[in-house]
Amino acid sequence: MDYILNGFVEAFRLIFSFDPEIIQIVLLSLFVSFSSTLYGTLVGVPLGILLGINNFKGKKMVSRFLYTFMSFPPVIIGLFTALFLARSGPFGQYQLMYTSTAMIIAQTILVTPVIMGIVFNHASTSGYEVVQAGKTLGAQGWNILILLVLELKGVIMIALVTGFGRAISEVGAVMIVGGNIRGFTRVMTTFIAMNNNMGQYSVSIAMGLILMTISFLTNSVLYHFIIGDQNEYRD
Amino acid sequence: MNIETRNIIKTYQEKTVLNLEDKNRNLLFGSGKIHGIIGPNGSGKTTLMKIMAGLIAPSAGDVLYNGQSLDQDILSVMTYSTHTPTLFSRSVYENIAYPLKIRKRDKDEIHQIVSQLLEEFEIDDIRDQSARHLSGGEAQKTALARALSFSPQVLFLDEPTANIDPKSIQIIEAALQKRNCEQGLSIIIITHNLSQAFRICNHLTFLDQGSCLFSDTPEKIMASDHPIIDEFISFNRF
Repeated sequence: MDYILNGFVEAFRLIFSFDPEIIQIVLLSLFVSFSSTLYGTLVGVPLGILLGINNFKGKKMVSRFLYTFMSFPPVIIGLFTALFLARSGPFGQYQLMYTSTAMIIAQTILVTPVIMGIVFNHASTSGYEVVQAGKTLGAQGWNILILLVLELKGVIMIALVTGFGRAISEVGAVMIVGGNIRGFTRVMTTFIAMNNNMGQYSVSIAMGLILMTISFLTNSVLYHFIIGDQNEYRD
Repeated sequence: MNIETRNIIKTYQEKTVLNLEDKNRNLLFGSGKIHGIIGPNGSGKTTLMKIMAGLIAPSAGDVLYNGQSLDQDILSVMTYSTHTPTLFSRSVYENIAYPLKIRKRDKDEIHQIVSQLLEEFEIDDIRDQSARHLSGGEAQKTALARALSFSPQVLFLDEPTANIDPKSIQIIEAALQKRNCEQGLSIIIITHNLSQAFRICNHLTFLDQGSCLFSDTPEKIMASDHPIIDEFISFNRF
Protein backbone atom coordinates (compact mmCIF):
# COMPACT_ATOMS: atom_id res chain seq x y z
CA MET A 1 0.00 0.00 0.00
CA ASP A 2 2.91 2.34 0.83
CA TYR A 3 4.24 2.30 -2.71
CA ILE A 4 0.89 3.58 -4.00
CA LEU A 5 0.81 6.45 -1.48
CA ASN A 6 4.46 7.25 -2.14
CA GLY A 7 3.64 7.13 -5.82
CA PHE A 8 0.98 9.83 -5.37
CA VAL A 9 3.30 12.03 -3.26
CA GLU A 10 6.06 11.70 -5.87
CA ALA A 11 3.51 12.32 -8.63
CA PHE A 12 2.46 15.69 -7.16
CA ARG A 13 6.14 16.63 -6.73
CA LEU A 14 6.76 15.79 -10.41
CA ILE A 15 3.73 17.74 -11.62
CA PHE A 16 4.72 20.89 -9.75
CA SER A 17 8.38 20.58 -10.72
CA PHE A 18 7.32 21.45 -14.30
CA ASP A 19 9.73 18.91 -15.80
CA PRO A 20 10.45 19.97 -19.43
CA GLU A 21 10.07 16.37 -20.64
CA ILE A 22 6.66 16.02 -19.01
CA ILE A 23 5.55 19.36 -20.50
CA GLN A 24 6.78 18.29 -23.95
CA ILE A 25 4.89 14.97 -23.70
CA VAL A 26 1.68 16.70 -22.60
CA LEU A 27 1.92 19.28 -25.40
CA LEU A 28 2.58 16.59 -28.03
CA SER A 29 -0.36 14.55 -26.76
CA LEU A 30 -2.64 17.57 -26.97
CA PHE A 31 -1.34 18.49 -30.44
CA VAL A 32 -1.87 14.96 -31.82
CA SER A 33 -5.30 14.54 -30.23
CA PHE A 34 -6.59 18.00 -31.15
CA SER A 35 -5.33 17.60 -34.73
CA SER A 36 -6.94 14.20 -35.21
CA THR A 37 -10.20 15.46 -33.64
CA LEU A 38 -10.15 18.47 -35.96
CA TYR A 39 -9.64 16.33 -39.09
CA GLY A 40 -12.18 13.80 -37.83
CA THR A 41 -14.67 16.64 -37.34
CA LEU A 42 -14.11 18.09 -40.81
CA VAL A 43 -14.88 14.69 -42.34
CA GLY A 44 -17.28 13.18 -39.80
CA VAL A 45 -19.71 16.05 -39.15
CA PRO A 46 -20.72 16.86 -42.76
CA LEU A 47 -20.82 13.17 -43.72
CA GLY A 48 -22.82 12.27 -40.59
CA ILE A 49 -25.36 15.03 -41.31
CA LEU A 50 -25.57 14.18 -45.03
CA LEU A 51 -26.09 10.46 -44.44
CA GLY A 52 -28.42 11.08 -41.50
CA ILE A 53 -30.94 13.44 -43.07
CA ASN A 54 -31.19 11.61 -46.40
CA ASN A 55 -33.05 8.38 -46.91
CA PHE A 56 -31.41 6.05 -49.39
CA LYS A 57 -31.17 2.38 -50.19
CA GLY A 58 -28.55 0.69 -48.01
CA LYS A 59 -28.77 3.22 -45.17
CA LYS A 60 -29.17 0.44 -42.61
CA MET A 61 -26.04 -1.27 -43.93
CA VAL A 62 -24.11 2.02 -43.75
CA SER A 63 -25.20 2.51 -40.13
CA ARG A 64 -24.11 -1.03 -39.23
CA PHE A 65 -20.64 -0.46 -40.71
CA LEU A 66 -20.42 2.91 -38.99
CA TYR A 67 -21.33 1.54 -35.57
CA THR A 68 -18.83 -1.32 -36.05
CA PHE A 69 -16.05 1.15 -36.86
CA MET A 70 -16.97 3.21 -33.78
CA SER A 71 -15.75 0.37 -31.59
CA PHE A 72 -12.89 -0.81 -33.78
CA PRO A 73 -9.83 -1.85 -31.71
CA PRO A 74 -7.12 0.84 -31.85
CA VAL A 75 -4.32 -1.72 -32.25
CA ILE A 76 -5.93 -3.01 -35.44
CA ILE A 77 -6.15 0.55 -36.80
CA GLY A 78 -2.54 1.07 -35.73
CA LEU A 79 -1.50 -2.15 -37.46
CA PHE A 80 -3.20 -1.29 -40.78
CA THR A 81 -1.91 2.30 -40.68
CA ALA A 82 1.60 0.95 -40.06
CA LEU A 83 1.27 -1.48 -42.98
CA PHE A 84 0.40 1.40 -45.30
CA LEU A 85 3.03 3.81 -43.95
CA ALA A 86 5.92 1.34 -43.51
CA ARG A 87 8.89 1.74 -45.82
CA SER A 88 7.74 -1.16 -48.03
CA GLY A 89 4.05 -0.07 -47.89
CA PRO A 90 2.07 1.96 -50.48
CA PHE A 91 2.94 5.27 -48.77
CA GLY A 92 6.45 4.28 -47.64
CA GLN A 93 8.09 6.90 -49.86
CA TYR A 94 6.72 9.69 -47.62
CA GLN A 95 8.66 8.36 -44.61
CA LEU A 96 5.85 9.04 -42.17
CA MET A 97 6.32 6.01 -39.94
CA TYR A 98 7.37 6.89 -36.35
CA THR A 99 6.39 10.53 -36.74
CA SER A 100 3.67 12.61 -35.12
CA THR A 101 1.99 12.80 -38.55
CA ALA A 102 1.58 9.00 -38.55
CA MET A 103 0.03 9.25 -35.08
CA ILE A 104 -2.40 11.91 -36.28
CA ILE A 105 -3.35 9.76 -39.29
CA ALA A 106 -4.01 6.70 -37.10
CA GLN A 107 -6.01 8.68 -34.56
CA THR A 108 -8.00 10.44 -37.28
CA ILE A 109 -9.01 7.02 -38.63
CA LEU A 110 -9.95 6.09 -35.07
CA VAL A 111 -12.04 9.15 -34.15
CA THR A 112 -13.76 9.90 -37.47
CA PRO A 113 -16.29 7.03 -37.16
CA VAL A 114 -16.97 8.02 -33.54
CA ILE A 115 -17.80 11.62 -34.46
CA MET A 116 -19.62 10.60 -37.63
CA GLY A 117 -21.66 7.90 -35.84
CA ILE A 118 -22.90 10.22 -33.10
CA VAL A 119 -23.83 12.97 -35.56
CA PHE A 120 -25.41 10.44 -37.96
CA ASN A 121 -27.55 8.96 -35.20
CA HIS A 122 -29.02 12.32 -34.16
CA ALA A 123 -29.28 13.69 -37.68
CA SER A 124 -31.34 10.62 -38.64
CA THR A 125 -33.93 11.40 -35.98
CA SER A 126 -34.10 15.00 -34.81
CA GLY A 127 -32.13 16.32 -37.81
CA TYR A 128 -34.73 15.03 -40.24
CA GLU A 129 -37.52 16.72 -38.25
CA VAL A 130 -35.60 20.01 -38.19
CA VAL A 131 -35.13 19.89 -41.97
CA GLN A 132 -38.84 19.22 -42.47
CA ALA A 133 -39.82 22.02 -40.08
CA GLY A 134 -37.41 24.43 -41.78
CA LYS A 135 -38.78 23.57 -45.22
CA THR A 136 -42.38 24.13 -44.14
CA LEU A 137 -41.38 27.62 -42.98
CA GLY A 138 -39.76 28.46 -46.30
CA ALA A 139 -36.10 27.67 -45.58
CA GLN A 140 -33.98 26.17 -48.32
CA GLY A 141 -30.31 25.66 -49.27
CA TRP A 142 -27.91 27.46 -46.91
CA ASN A 143 -30.71 28.38 -44.51
CA ILE A 144 -31.47 24.70 -43.95
CA LEU A 145 -27.79 23.87 -43.42
CA ILE A 146 -27.28 26.72 -40.94
CA LEU A 147 -30.46 25.77 -39.09
CA LEU A 148 -29.38 22.14 -38.91
CA VAL A 149 -25.89 22.91 -37.58
CA LEU A 150 -27.32 25.29 -34.96
CA GLU A 151 -29.93 22.75 -33.87
CA LEU A 152 -27.37 19.93 -33.70
CA LYS A 153 -24.62 22.03 -32.10
CA GLY A 154 -25.02 20.25 -28.75
CA VAL A 155 -24.69 16.86 -30.40
CA ILE A 156 -21.75 18.03 -32.50
CA MET A 157 -19.98 19.26 -29.35
CA ILE A 158 -20.65 15.94 -27.61
CA ALA A 159 -19.28 14.11 -30.66
CA LEU A 160 -16.14 16.27 -30.61
CA VAL A 161 -15.46 15.67 -26.93
CA THR A 162 -16.14 11.94 -27.27
CA GLY A 163 -13.76 11.83 -30.24
CA PHE A 164 -11.14 13.82 -28.35
CA GLY A 165 -11.55 11.52 -25.34
CA ARG A 166 -11.02 8.47 -27.51
CA ALA A 167 -7.95 10.06 -29.12
CA ILE A 168 -6.19 11.26 -25.99
CA SER A 169 -6.79 8.06 -24.02
CA GLU A 170 -5.74 5.73 -26.83
CA VAL A 171 -2.44 3.82 -26.58
CA GLY A 172 -2.41 0.91 -29.06
CA ALA A 173 -2.40 2.76 -32.38
CA VAL A 174 0.04 5.53 -31.39
CA MET A 175 2.40 2.95 -29.89
CA ILE A 176 2.52 1.02 -33.18
CA VAL A 177 2.82 3.94 -35.64
CA GLY A 178 4.66 6.34 -33.31
CA GLY A 179 7.05 3.93 -31.63
CA ASN A 180 7.11 5.88 -28.32
CA ILE A 181 10.39 7.63 -29.25
CA ARG A 182 11.59 9.94 -26.48
CA GLY A 183 11.36 13.58 -27.48
CA PHE A 184 9.58 12.81 -30.77
CA THR A 185 6.56 10.53 -30.54
CA ARG A 186 6.20 9.85 -26.84
CA VAL A 187 2.73 10.82 -25.63
CA MET A 188 1.02 10.55 -22.25
CA THR A 189 -0.51 7.11 -22.74
CA THR A 190 2.64 5.47 -24.14
CA PHE A 191 4.65 7.16 -21.39
CA ILE A 192 2.37 5.68 -18.71
CA ALA A 193 2.46 2.20 -20.28
CA MET A 194 6.26 2.26 -20.56
CA ASN A 195 6.90 3.48 -17.01
CA ASN A 196 4.42 1.00 -15.59
CA ASN A 197 6.35 -1.81 -17.30
CA MET A 198 9.56 -0.43 -15.79
CA GLY A 199 8.03 -0.29 -12.30
CA GLN A 200 8.24 3.53 -12.10
CA TYR A 201 4.79 4.01 -10.66
CA SER A 202 5.18 7.59 -9.42
CA VAL A 203 5.74 9.04 -12.90
CA SER A 204 2.95 6.84 -14.26
CA ILE A 205 0.60 8.16 -11.56
CA ALA A 206 1.73 11.74 -12.24
CA MET A 207 1.01 11.44 -15.94
CA GLY A 208 -2.26 9.60 -15.20
CA LEU A 209 -3.37 12.51 -13.00
CA ILE A 210 -2.54 15.01 -15.73
CA LEU A 211 -4.45 12.91 -18.28
CA MET A 212 -7.48 12.67 -15.98
CA THR A 213 -7.35 16.42 -15.29
CA ILE A 214 -7.37 17.19 -19.01
CA SER A 215 -10.32 14.83 -19.55
CA PHE A 216 -12.16 16.38 -16.60
CA LEU A 217 -11.56 19.93 -17.81
CA THR A 218 -12.68 19.11 -21.35
CA ASN A 219 -15.87 17.45 -20.14
CA SER A 220 -16.55 20.22 -17.63
CA VAL A 221 -16.37 22.84 -20.35
CA LEU A 222 -18.77 20.80 -22.48
CA TYR A 223 -21.17 20.26 -19.59
CA HIS A 224 -21.14 23.90 -18.61
CA PHE A 225 -21.82 25.28 -22.08
CA ILE A 226 -23.98 22.61 -23.70
CA ILE A 227 -25.39 19.84 -21.55
CA GLY A 228 -25.87 21.96 -18.43
CA ASP A 229 -28.01 24.38 -20.41
CA GLN A 230 -30.17 21.56 -21.80
CA ASN A 231 -30.65 19.89 -18.41
CA GLU A 232 -31.61 23.01 -16.51
CA TYR A 233 -34.49 22.68 -14.06
CA ARG A 234 -37.93 22.69 -15.61
CA ASP A 235 -41.04 23.58 -13.69
CA MET B 1 -55.17 28.86 -53.56
CA ASN B 2 -57.14 25.94 -54.98
CA ILE B 3 -55.55 22.58 -54.30
CA GLU B 4 -56.65 19.60 -56.34
CA THR B 5 -55.55 15.99 -56.01
CA ARG B 6 -55.28 13.92 -59.20
CA ASN B 7 -55.38 10.14 -58.87
CA ILE B 8 -53.08 10.02 -55.86
CA ILE B 9 -51.73 6.72 -54.57
CA LYS B 10 -49.22 6.30 -51.77
CA THR B 11 -47.64 2.97 -50.89
CA TYR B 12 -45.19 2.13 -48.11
CA GLN B 13 -43.30 -1.14 -48.44
CA GLU B 14 -45.85 -2.49 -50.94
CA LYS B 15 -48.80 -1.57 -48.67
CA THR B 16 -51.19 1.01 -50.08
CA VAL B 17 -51.96 3.59 -47.39
CA LEU B 18 -53.76 6.08 -49.61
CA ASN B 19 -55.71 5.41 -52.78
CA LEU B 20 -57.48 8.33 -54.43
CA GLU B 21 -56.97 6.95 -57.92
CA ASP B 22 -60.55 6.77 -59.05
CA LYS B 23 -61.67 9.83 -61.03
CA ASN B 24 -64.53 10.60 -58.68
CA ARG B 25 -62.19 10.43 -55.68
CA ASN B 26 -60.16 13.43 -56.79
CA LEU B 27 -60.44 16.10 -54.10
CA LEU B 28 -60.72 19.86 -54.38
CA PHE B 29 -59.62 22.04 -51.48
CA GLY B 30 -61.12 25.39 -52.36
CA SER B 31 -59.34 28.69 -51.94
CA GLY B 32 -60.14 30.68 -48.80
CA LYS B 33 -61.94 27.81 -47.08
CA ILE B 34 -61.40 25.93 -43.86
CA HIS B 35 -61.35 22.35 -45.03
CA GLY B 36 -61.41 19.57 -42.44
CA ILE B 37 -60.10 16.04 -42.94
CA ILE B 38 -61.62 13.51 -40.57
CA GLY B 39 -61.60 9.75 -40.22
CA PRO B 40 -60.33 6.94 -37.99
CA ASN B 41 -56.65 6.40 -37.14
CA GLY B 42 -54.67 4.95 -40.03
CA SER B 43 -57.10 6.22 -42.65
CA GLY B 44 -54.42 8.17 -44.55
CA LYS B 45 -55.23 11.70 -43.34
CA THR B 46 -51.66 12.68 -42.43
CA THR B 47 -50.27 11.02 -45.56
CA LEU B 48 -52.67 13.02 -47.73
CA MET B 49 -51.80 16.23 -45.91
CA LYS B 50 -48.04 15.66 -46.17
CA ILE B 51 -48.37 14.99 -49.89
CA MET B 52 -50.34 18.21 -50.40
CA ALA B 53 -47.83 20.14 -48.27
CA GLY B 54 -45.01 18.83 -50.46
CA LEU B 55 -43.33 16.97 -47.59
CA ILE B 56 -43.61 13.53 -49.19
CA ALA B 57 -44.05 12.54 -52.81
CA PRO B 58 -47.02 10.42 -53.93
CA SER B 59 -46.25 6.99 -55.41
CA ALA B 60 -48.56 7.90 -58.29
CA GLY B 61 -50.74 10.83 -59.25
CA ASP B 62 -50.25 14.55 -58.79
CA VAL B 63 -51.39 17.57 -56.79
CA LEU B 64 -52.21 20.81 -58.60
CA TYR B 65 -52.04 24.23 -56.98
CA ASN B 66 -54.20 26.69 -58.93
CA GLY B 67 -53.71 24.27 -61.82
CA GLN B 68 -49.90 24.18 -61.50
CA SER B 69 -47.50 21.54 -60.26
CA LEU B 70 -45.62 22.13 -57.00
CA ASP B 71 -42.61 24.42 -57.23
CA GLN B 72 -40.53 26.57 -54.86
CA ASP B 73 -42.79 29.61 -55.29
CA ILE B 74 -45.83 27.58 -54.21
CA LEU B 75 -43.91 25.97 -51.33
CA SER B 76 -42.90 29.39 -50.04
CA VAL B 77 -46.55 30.43 -49.46
CA MET B 78 -47.62 27.21 -47.70
CA THR B 79 -46.83 25.96 -44.24
CA TYR B 80 -47.52 22.93 -42.07
CA SER B 81 -47.81 22.40 -38.33
CA THR B 82 -48.54 19.29 -36.27
CA HIS B 83 -49.67 18.50 -32.73
CA THR B 84 -46.04 17.60 -31.96
CA PRO B 85 -44.34 20.67 -33.44
CA THR B 86 -40.59 20.81 -33.95
CA LEU B 87 -39.64 24.03 -32.24
CA PHE B 88 -36.08 25.23 -32.61
CA SER B 89 -33.75 25.42 -29.60
CA ARG B 90 -34.00 29.17 -29.19
CA SER B 91 -36.46 31.50 -27.48
CA VAL B 92 -40.18 31.64 -28.25
CA TYR B 93 -39.64 35.09 -29.80
CA GLU B 94 -36.82 33.81 -32.03
CA ASN B 95 -38.90 30.82 -33.13
CA ILE B 96 -41.74 33.06 -34.29
CA ALA B 97 -39.29 35.46 -35.92
CA TYR B 98 -37.49 32.70 -37.86
CA PRO B 99 -39.66 32.64 -41.04
CA LEU B 100 -39.42 36.43 -41.24
CA LYS B 101 -35.66 36.46 -40.75
CA ILE B 102 -35.02 33.99 -43.58
CA ARG B 103 -37.22 36.20 -45.76
CA LYS B 104 -34.92 39.09 -44.83
CA ARG B 105 -37.71 41.29 -43.46
CA ASP B 106 -36.85 44.58 -41.81
CA LYS B 107 -35.92 44.33 -38.10
CA ASP B 108 -38.65 46.75 -36.96
CA GLU B 109 -41.26 44.94 -39.04
CA ILE B 110 -40.20 41.60 -37.52
CA HIS B 111 -40.48 43.05 -34.02
CA GLN B 112 -43.93 44.47 -34.73
CA ILE B 113 -45.31 41.23 -36.25
CA VAL B 114 -43.85 38.97 -33.56
CA SER B 115 -45.07 41.24 -30.74
CA GLN B 116 -48.60 41.20 -32.16
CA LEU B 117 -48.57 37.39 -32.43
CA LEU B 118 -47.22 36.98 -28.89
CA GLU B 119 -50.06 39.11 -27.62
CA GLU B 120 -52.73 37.45 -29.78
CA PHE B 121 -51.72 33.95 -28.66
CA GLU B 122 -51.26 35.10 -25.04
CA ILE B 123 -47.67 33.90 -24.86
CA ASP B 124 -46.03 37.27 -24.30
CA ASP B 125 -44.97 36.25 -20.78
CA ILE B 126 -42.84 33.38 -22.18
CA ARG B 127 -41.31 35.31 -25.09
CA ASP B 128 -37.74 34.91 -23.78
CA GLN B 129 -38.17 31.34 -22.54
CA SER B 130 -36.44 28.53 -24.41
CA ALA B 131 -38.92 26.81 -26.74
CA ARG B 132 -37.57 23.46 -25.49
CA HIS B 133 -39.17 23.99 -22.10
CA LEU B 134 -42.79 24.70 -23.03
CA SER B 135 -45.99 22.93 -22.05
CA GLY B 136 -48.07 21.27 -24.78
CA GLY B 137 -50.42 24.24 -25.17
CA GLU B 138 -47.61 26.80 -25.17
CA ALA B 139 -45.71 24.80 -27.78
CA GLN B 140 -48.80 24.53 -30.00
CA LYS B 141 -49.50 28.25 -29.78
CA THR B 142 -45.84 29.09 -30.47
CA ALA B 143 -45.79 26.76 -33.48
CA LEU B 144 -48.97 28.25 -34.87
CA ALA B 145 -47.80 31.82 -34.30
CA ARG B 146 -44.57 30.90 -36.13
CA ALA B 147 -46.53 29.37 -39.00
CA LEU B 148 -48.72 32.47 -39.33
CA SER B 149 -45.90 35.01 -38.95
CA PHE B 150 -45.10 35.26 -42.66
CA SER B 151 -48.79 35.38 -43.72
CA PRO B 152 -48.93 32.18 -45.78
CA GLN B 153 -51.72 31.57 -48.30
CA VAL B 154 -52.25 27.95 -47.26
CA LEU B 155 -51.98 26.49 -43.76
CA PHE B 156 -51.90 22.73 -43.16
CA LEU B 157 -52.66 21.69 -39.58
CA ASP B 158 -52.43 18.14 -38.28
CA GLU B 159 -54.46 18.00 -35.06
CA PRO B 160 -53.37 21.45 -33.87
CA THR B 161 -55.46 21.35 -30.69
CA ALA B 162 -54.85 17.75 -29.58
CA ASN B 163 -54.30 17.42 -25.81
CA ILE B 164 -54.44 21.10 -24.96
CA ASP B 165 -56.67 23.11 -22.63
CA PRO B 166 -60.01 24.66 -23.74
CA LYS B 167 -58.73 28.23 -23.38
CA SER B 168 -55.81 27.53 -25.73
CA ILE B 169 -58.17 25.81 -28.18
CA GLN B 170 -60.35 28.92 -28.14
CA ILE B 171 -57.35 31.18 -28.83
CA ILE B 172 -56.14 28.98 -31.70
CA GLU B 173 -59.58 28.68 -33.32
CA ALA B 174 -60.13 32.44 -33.07
CA ALA B 175 -56.76 33.12 -34.70
CA LEU B 176 -57.53 30.71 -37.55
CA GLN B 177 -61.01 32.08 -38.19
CA LYS B 178 -59.76 35.66 -38.07
CA ARG B 179 -57.13 35.02 -40.77
CA ASN B 180 -59.53 32.99 -42.85
CA CYS B 181 -62.12 35.81 -42.83
CA GLU B 182 -59.79 38.81 -43.04
CA GLN B 183 -56.95 37.50 -45.21
CA GLY B 184 -58.61 34.67 -47.11
CA LEU B 185 -56.16 32.15 -45.65
CA SER B 186 -56.92 28.60 -46.88
CA ILE B 187 -56.77 26.17 -43.98
CA ILE B 188 -56.70 22.40 -44.26
CA ILE B 189 -57.04 20.82 -40.85
CA ILE B 190 -56.98 17.25 -39.57
CA THR B 191 -59.00 16.85 -36.41
CA HIS B 192 -60.50 14.12 -34.27
CA ASN B 193 -62.61 16.69 -32.51
CA LEU B 194 -65.89 16.57 -34.41
CA SER B 195 -67.45 19.52 -32.61
CA GLN B 196 -64.41 21.55 -33.65
CA ALA B 197 -64.76 20.32 -37.23
CA PHE B 198 -68.42 21.38 -37.35
CA ARG B 199 -67.61 24.64 -35.57
CA ILE B 200 -64.91 25.99 -37.88
CA CYS B 201 -64.91 24.01 -41.15
CA ASN B 202 -66.81 24.93 -44.34
CA HIS B 203 -66.05 21.59 -45.93
CA LEU B 204 -65.22 18.11 -44.62
CA THR B 205 -63.52 15.12 -46.22
CA PHE B 206 -63.94 11.72 -44.61
CA LEU B 207 -61.17 9.17 -45.18
CA ASP B 208 -61.26 5.50 -44.25
CA GLN B 209 -58.55 2.90 -44.99
CA GLY B 210 -56.88 5.19 -47.50
CA SER B 211 -60.04 5.97 -49.46
CA CYS B 212 -62.29 8.99 -49.53
CA LEU B 213 -65.82 8.07 -48.47
CA PHE B 214 -67.31 11.53 -48.47
CA SER B 215 -66.33 15.12 -49.24
CA ASP B 216 -68.96 17.81 -48.74
CA THR B 217 -70.33 20.35 -46.29
CA PRO B 218 -70.53 19.44 -42.57
CA GLU B 219 -74.34 19.46 -42.78
CA LYS B 220 -74.35 16.89 -45.57
CA ILE B 221 -71.81 14.67 -43.86
CA MET B 222 -74.00 14.71 -40.74
CA ALA B 223 -76.94 13.60 -42.83
CA SER B 224 -74.96 10.79 -44.47
CA ASP B 225 -76.32 7.30 -44.04
CA HIS B 226 -72.98 5.63 -44.83
CA PRO B 227 -72.52 3.05 -42.01
CA ILE B 228 -68.80 3.82 -41.40
CA ILE B 229 -69.38 7.58 -41.26
CA ASP B 230 -72.44 7.09 -39.10
CA GLU B 231 -70.48 4.91 -36.67
CA PHE B 232 -67.56 7.37 -36.57
CA ILE B 233 -69.85 10.31 -35.87
CA SER B 234 -71.72 8.40 -33.16
CA PHE B 235 -68.46 7.57 -31.36
CA ASN B 236 -66.94 11.05 -31.66
CA ARG B 237 -69.91 13.30 -31.31
CA PHE B 238 -69.47 14.26 -27.65
